[in-house]
Amino acid sequence: MSSAAAAVVPSAHAEHHELGFIRTYVFSTDHKMIARQFLFMALFMMAIGGLMAMLMRWELAWPESQVPLMHWVPEPMMYDGAIPPNSYNAFFTMHATIMIFFVIMPILVGCFGNFLIPLMIGARDMAFPTLNMLSFWVGAVAGVLLLASFAVTGGPAAAGWTSYAPLSAVPNYTGVDWGQNLWCMSLIVLGVSSLMGAINYITTIINMRTKGMTFFRMPLVIWSLFITAILLLLALPVLTTALALLLFDRMAGTHFFIPTGGGEPLLWQHLFWFFGHPEVYIMILPAMGITSDVISTFSRKPIFGYRAMAYAMIAIAFLSWIVWGHHMFQSGMDPALGSAFMITTMVIGVPSAIKTFNWLGTLYKGNIHYTAAMLNALAFVAMFVIGGLSGIWMACTPVDMYIHDTYFIVAHIHYVLFGGSLFGVFAAVTYWFPKMFGRLMNERLGKVHFFITFIAFNCTFFPMHILGMGGHMRRIYNPLQYDFLKPLQGINIFISISAFVLGAAQFLFLANIIYGLKWGEKAGENPWRANTLDWTTPSPPPHGNWPGPVPVVYRGPYEYSSPEVEEDYLPQSQLLEHESAAAD
Amino acid sequence: MPGTAAKVRPLIIPGRKPGSGSVTSGGGDQRERAFMSNGMIAVLAVIASEMMLFSGLIGSFLIFRLSAPFWPPPALPRLPIAITWVNTLVLLTSAVTMFLAVRAVHRSRQRLLRNYLAITAVLGTTFLLVQGSEWVRLVAHGLKISSGAYGGTFYTLIGCHGLHVTAGVAWLVGVAVAAWGGRYNARNASTVEVVAVYWFFVCAIWPLLFVLVYLM
Amino acid sequence: MLEHLWFPHDISTFGPRVDWLFELIFWIVVIVWIAVMIAMVTFLIRYRTRPGRKAEYIEGNTRLEVIWTTATAVILVVLAFMSRSTWADIKEHGPAGQVFYAVASKQFNWEITYPGPDGKLGTKDDVTVENEFHVPVNTVVRFDLTSKDVIHSFFVPALRLKQDSVPGRVIKVWFEAREVGTWEIPCAELCGFGHSGMKGSLVVDTPEAYAKWIKDKYSGQ
Ligand code: HEA
Ligand code: HEA
Ligand code: CUA
Ligand SMILES: [Cu+2]
Repeated sequence: MSSAAAAVVPSAHAEHHELGFIRTYVFSTDHKMIARQFLFMALFMMAIGGLMAMLMRWELAWPESQVPLMHWVPEPMMYDGAIPPNSYNAFFTMHATIMIFFVIMPILVGCFGNFLIPLMIGARDMAFPTLNMLSFWVGAVAGVLLLASFAVTGGPAAAGWTSYAPLSAVPNYTGVDWGQNLWCMSLIVLGVSSLMGAINYITTIINMRTKGMTFFRMPLVIWSLFITAILLLLALPVLTTALALLLFDRMAGTHFFIPTGGGEPLLWQHLFWFFGHPEVYIMILPAMGITSDVISTFSRKPIFGYRAMAYAMIAIAFLSWIVWGHHMFQSGMDPALGSAFMITTMVIGVPSAIKTFNWLGTLYKGNIHYTAAMLNALAFVAMFVIGGLSGIWMACTPVDMYIHDTYFIVAHIHYVLFGGSLFGVFAAVTYWFPKMFGRLMNERLGKVHFFITFIAFNCTFFPMHILGMGGHMRRIYNPLQYDFLKPLQGINIFISISAFVLGAAQFLFLANIIYGLKWGEKAGENPWRANTLDWTTPSPPPHGNWPGPVPVVYRGPYEYSSPEVEEDYLPQSQLLEHESAAAD
Repeated sequence: MPGTAAKVRPLIIPGRKPGSGSVTSGGGDQRERAFMSNGMIAVLAVIASEMMLFSGLIGSFLIFRLSAPFWPPPALPRLPIAITWVNTLVLLTSAVTMFLAVRAVHRSRQRLLRNYLAITAVLGTTFLLVQGSEWVRLVAHGLKISSGAYGGTFYTLIGCHGLHVTAGVAWLVGVAVAAWGGRYNARNASTVEVVAVYWFFVCAIWPLLFVLVYLM
Repeated sequence: MLEHLWFPHDISTFGPRVDWLFELIFWIVVIVWIAVMIAMVTFLIRYRTRPGRKAEYIEGNTRLEVIWTTATAVILVVLAFMSRSTWADIKEHGPAGQVFYAVASKQFNWEITYPGPDGKLGTKDDVTVENEFHVPVNTVVRFDLTSKDVIHSFFVPALRLKQDSVPGRVIKVWFEAREVGTWEIPCAELCGFGHSGMKGSLVVDTPEAYAKWIKDKYSGQ
């Protein structure tokens, strides 16, 4: 993997000692290796989360029939390939938990947070490399705990990723016993992992920036990761509290959420969503940062309104703390409170608007190169806008009364999370793959993957809005049990077929990664002619990141097509002649 | 564009190639000024995070407390106020000794530093022991974690604080041992400062819990 | 227009107000979306790379920034205030009730309690029926929604009404149906393995049919 290690020029700072296999690939403290570990763990989990989705889609299109190729799954998970209701509930619970906590967060925060922060701010590693290693391995333990729940009697958690109490608090209500306990434990452990990561990111960004890298010269992706780390730091403990109380209810006989003992079911929802809403921005902010960087690079133009972009993210982070009630409009919470949450929720659309219009402004009069990374970033913008705009209906309390808990919400979820975060992931992987592994992914294959995914994605999730408008509830395993849904079944079948195409298309992505690792074109230092510091060192960067001293920064990250130089880019670390004269 | 990767022209503009070593004198890395030590930022971050943890628990406690018709519920034992007053003083005293330890390290007074660290750890342990023995008595009198919202919130909230004190004591002992070896002095004080900040947090949150859980 | 957009037929008095808001947002959103897409596609085509082209060095424009920020803020805040009264009428107050019921959810049925001949709930002549909710047409119906185990959600697509039922809470709900017929009452909140398929039926009767049904039920006791 690190063939370029040979190219390392030994220097006083990049001390290069030979580490054994274990220290290099398993218990590595190198932020770049930890980033790769997070990436591969997440891709593995994505296959499992995706498989769950495929099973759900089969069930929804052809309810209570046998899923092909799945006869081997033992009872009572499946009966000769047929999915019983409780397993369906377990599938969407695990699907969402895996996709959110073990795919999107590990890739965006774990992988790219780790990989990019030191490289882009000019640091040799994270502030606490050992803590960083621990963060990955604790996260891996959390993953194992979650997967183990497939094997326990009663099956995995089946109360939805939101695990509303008292359904989740009393084993008898779902028939799930250890599955739900493991789910709680897994997420508590994952919280510890994220906490370690967040501390590292915050400390590193505050303290380890190279000379000249002021806060307002940081790339927006670093800004986004910084803000995300703060949100993680403050949001996850609240989830930990809720999970601990839920575990006590299940295992120690307390009654926090169980009304028969004086408990309060809505308390769970308040705690969960107080964490949950910042959580969804944790998943979108890094993708926004990535998109900003990719769009600016391939438009060969400075990002439009750099400061506005940074401030908008800060505003999103602040507002994310006061909107959680929009998930609880119909929950029995005081309706007057609902009105207050409606207003705050509407207001959070404003910073998102700033971001959207600034991305458009960046394209304006640019010199747009259509690489695979750029296509995915553009898809991010288009899809995030759809997902965000559907949020406006849901923010409107009377309208939410009708579409709450319908497929309209499912459509929203996937437009922001797949259309947003996951396209951001595709863009980021394609863009930074050469820096990570020293080779480029195949451009043509990348485009084929992009177009199939983009079309199949829209065919899968756009019609879900229509289902939602027809009143189709979410989390039901057989729509044909309802007379008013029977006319909509054709749409369900169309969605499922599109979903299978969408799932199959991801093998192209996997194939492209393997291709890139083995046969990809050698990347060189700066294949995209980008400005940021990560592109001023060999690909992949050696231990210590720069063979020589760490570069010093003289300007902002987006000086593309600057009139000062003939080239259409001007790296942050490049000192111009007249500037150097002035500096001397 | 990847196709052009190999064909990228070198920058025509005259300038210094980044990372070639010519930019910085003597090959040393240069950094923006650090705000405070890494350890201090980290511990402040941990504290921010812990504050959210406690807010979650305190919020839950308040919801039950404010909606309950009787608090504590009639059949359950009262919490021991007098001894906990004493215990509160013990913990607050430990904050003072911790402060004195920091002052000692800033003046490189090794003996004082050691003694104050040790006293702080001992006071912390005392606090824990007293809490522990009170818990044993409460359980014997029938206040269990499963005794409704009253028992549940009491044990989770106070227990969570107890865990933090335990972690703090363990850390203190580690630092005290290192101080015995003469690790710290005025120029190398940051570890002591960091553990002190954590200890202050643990002490500062206690009076709040005391008032809410025991007195209110 | 919404009838064409797959919305179920609407039979409640507040349904049109909900649908109107949906439609209002629909137009706002569609216009915003089309504007964004036109801009994006135009830029993508016009400013695609060509040999010898160089992008224009533009770092931003504070005036534009202020314009689109305030424009969005105004639209959204106005929208929020416009929705408020509809919400308040449906969930906060609403008209005085003419008939009263109690609805309790449990895994996986709806239990409808009718007040009996004395017209009062909580007396001995109450009748409880599973999954069949008969109400008279053009009458303000009020009921107390409770739950016996986990959270469920009372959802009648044709009424545009949804309200979670929460164990330990009594939630007051009202509606008025404008049309005679039978509609489904699916449970909309995940409540266990029987969540899918948990449904009752809302039967809106003419006053005569309603009186007859009630009489039959009570005499059956
Ligand atoms: C990445 C994740 C992500 C993001 C970014 C968002 C963003 C938003 N979400 Fe979403 N949301 C989820 C993930 C996310 N959400 C998930 C997972 C759920 C379901 C949880 C569950 O129950 O399982 C959910 C549920 C959810 C609900 C609860 C629905 C219900 O259960 O009934 C609501 C209600 O208000 C809501 C609103 C919003 C709003 C207003 C935004 C805004 O931030 C969007 C802002 C963006 C724009 C508005 C587009 C760009 C702006 C313009 C182009 C300007 C012009 C616009 C106008 C003038 C209108 N979301
Ligand atoms: C990031 C988040 C994310 C992602 C990516 C997805 C992806 C998908 N989701 Fe998911 N979904 C959620 C988050 C996500 N979902 C959430 C939060 C819920 C709510 C759950 C709840 O109600 O509690 C939900 C619920 C949900 C439902 C509603 C269930 C119900 O309410 O009854 C449905 C139904 O169609 C669905 C479908 C899909 C499909 C078809 C995909 C497809 O995009 C999947 C495509 C397949 C893959 C992406 C994997 C295949 C990849 C490979 C095979 C190659 C890679 C392999 C290796 C690298 C080894 N999802
Ligand atoms: Cu009852 Cu879902
Ligand atoms: Cu939200």
